[in-house]
Amino acid sequence: MSQSLAPECNELKERYDTCFLKWYSEKYLRGISTSDNNECATMFKEYNVCLKRALKERGIDKLLDEAREDFKENDATLLGKKKCK
Amino acid sequence: MKVFSNTETFNYSWEEVSTANWRKYCPWNDKSTHVLAVDTISRTVDPETGILRTERLITCKQSMPDFLKKIMGSGMEEQQVFETSYVDPRQRTVTMVSENITWNNLLNVQETVVYRPLNDHQTAFEQAAKITALCGGWQKIKNSIEDTLVKRFRENAAKGKEGFEAVLAMSRRVFAEEREREKMMLIQAQAVNIRMAA
Repeated sequence: MSQSLAPECNELKERYDTCFLKWYSEKYLRGISTSDNNECATMFKEYNVCLKRALKERGIDKLLDEAREDFKENDATLLGKKKCK
Repeated sequence: MKVFSNTETFNYSWEEVSTANWRKYCPWNDKSTHVLAVDTISRTVDPETGILRTERLITCKQSMPDFLKKIMGSGMEEQQVFETSYVDPRQRTVTMVSENITWNNLLNVQETVVYRPLNDHQTAFEQAAKITALCGGWQKIKNSIEDTLVKRFRENAAKGKEGFEAVLAMSRRVFAEEREREKMMLIQAQAVNIRMAA
């Protein structure tokens, strides 16, 4: 698996990535588990706490918020349009 | 603004490609050493459509031609890209949209990648990038910045395909081994049950 930009989060990231990949290939793609509240949720939360702290320290959190604004349109086309079908 | 686009075919099923895509930048891919880190910021499943939406932050190190370093400073070398991806399990598509968040007041690079099945054994990869140099100044400079990046995209596209092919081959092997291991464990468990019953 790839590294985290914050070395202190690497272990938590690795644990979550492994869990996610298993869930994605064995359950999500097969339509068995289609909720984001799955067996990896706790691991994601732990990794996310670590990552959020690192992003804030580096000032990246603000850049992300701006980028998210730019991307709102994509959500409308890629999530929204399909809802109408 | 300049546009770069590219299409490729991978001789793997969409399921395999969409799974391996999550570890495109792992150590198995020795062609993408410019990617330093990949972090998942958020991940949700839309309850209505079943679409898996993921936000990732990709940290890259790109070596820059000298003239760009002079314009933008050498700090330009480490960059961050924000990527939002959508996996639609019903339509069987993966769409990834990404944009640079570092130096985006000077340069805007927006990339869209779509993976869709061609048949049960082949998957199409469609890539399009829009490159816009925003810095006020001479059109000549802006043009040469854009041209340099289009060239970089073209070079990386070939390397990207080669690197991802390696990840796909490795994924197939690991999954096959995993299945084999699970089968062996099942057989062993059954053998124990039979012995206990006897």
